Amino acid sequence: MYDIAIIGSGPAGLSAAVYAKRAELNAIVIEKEYMGTGQIAESSRVDNYLGLYGESGFDLGEKFRRHAENVGTEFTEAEIVEILPQKESFLLKAADGQEISARAIIYAAGTTHRQLGIKGESEFLSNGISFCAVCDGAFYSEKKAAVIGGGDTALSDALYLSAIAEKVYILHRRESFRASAALQKAVKDTANIECIPNAVPTEFIGGKKLEAVKYLRDGKESCLPVDGVFLAVGRIPNSGLLKDIVCMDKNGYILADENGITSAEGIFAAGDVRTKTLRQVITAAADGANCVESARIFLSEKRS
Amino acid sequence: MSVRANADNFEEEIKKGVVIADFYSDSCVPCKRMSPLLAEIEEENDDVKLVKVNVNFESSLSEKYEVQAVPTLIFFKDGAETDRIRGAAKKAEILEIINKLR
Repeated sequence: MYDIAIIGSGPAGLSAAVYAKRAELNAIVIEKEYMGTGQIAESSRVDNYLGLYGESGFDLGEKFRRHAENVGTEFTEAEIVEILPQKESFLLKAADGQEISARAIIYAAGTTHRQLGIKGESEFLSNGISFCAVCDGAFYSEKKAAVIGGGDTALSDALYLSAIAEKVYILHRRESFRASAALQKAVKDTANIECIPNAVPTEFIGGKKLEAVKYLRDGKESCLPVDGVFLAVGRIPNSGLLKDIVCMDKNGYILADENGITSAEGIFAAGDVRTKTLRQVITAAADGANCVESARIFLSEKRS
Repeated sequence: MSVRANADNFEEEIKKGVVIADFYSDSCVPCKRMSPLLAEIEEENDDVKLVKVNVNFESSLSEKYEVQAVPTLIFFKDGAETDRIRGAAKKAEILEIINKLR
């Protein structure tokens, strides 16, 4: 029986691991991805984490992981599929059959890319539809690509792709972009980017490969021929495991203050999966630390 | 040791035995994570050859094998494609395919 099961090994989970070690609590970090460090690994550059200016997100994540490893953190690669509250503890069941028992849970499972949920999407995912422009942009050299979304990620992706592809479309469901003014200006100044506002994608079509995206605009359906599509329509919290166990806001983020205390005794929420206004590495790392302190107090009160 | 392949030597490199072709790009995080894992698999399995294809430079090979996402692993047995994994894969998943091809 562990004192704490930490679910997720992004900055929140790894920070919790380090603090748990210092508090001499017996903790295990459970991560579903091989050597995963969470979403930060996808950032090309992090400029606002104190003391580590200009680090690539991947390298920063590796440093965090190594720090947790160096203090002796126990890790396991497993995808938790069920959390069963027991009397005075929790039973965690993993997809591979592993079972882990812990007195407290620090839930730091982060967020995941939002999908559109339209026809053809799952069929062409990784086969014409991608979430990562810097990974898969090279496949569209002198071809046509579309970015779906209107935030910073969407516009940055479009700018990145404009240097590779012959033509880049940005499909956005609203009239105006949410992205920063600087990005909007850069997009406007790029000749091979065409913006299609008020466009709601309805279907991805193609044969063996993706060939086009259908969208609705002013009540009329159009078909845009493209070779590739990059989705940048935000993120959703990975909180499904705690459905019916803790209280969440309407978007599925776990309700908790900076101490990480949730509506369920013994479950603490850290990082991007928690309700908060600023989702950054530094706030995630702080959450991890705070959650360990909350868990420590919870565990000591239980024992006394 | 893995072989770096290009359009000129790829067919030759995959011709014999069990080959894993790793289509990757330097900027892709799952590719970075997979890389040591694949090297380990090659190291531990004498009869498995690892062929690396950097998609940023080998667009004709990506085109020919219809690769549209990285990482993509294509498994060959004596030159013929048998299996394909798109996206990051677990070691057990890769070993299962290798064992099937033996």
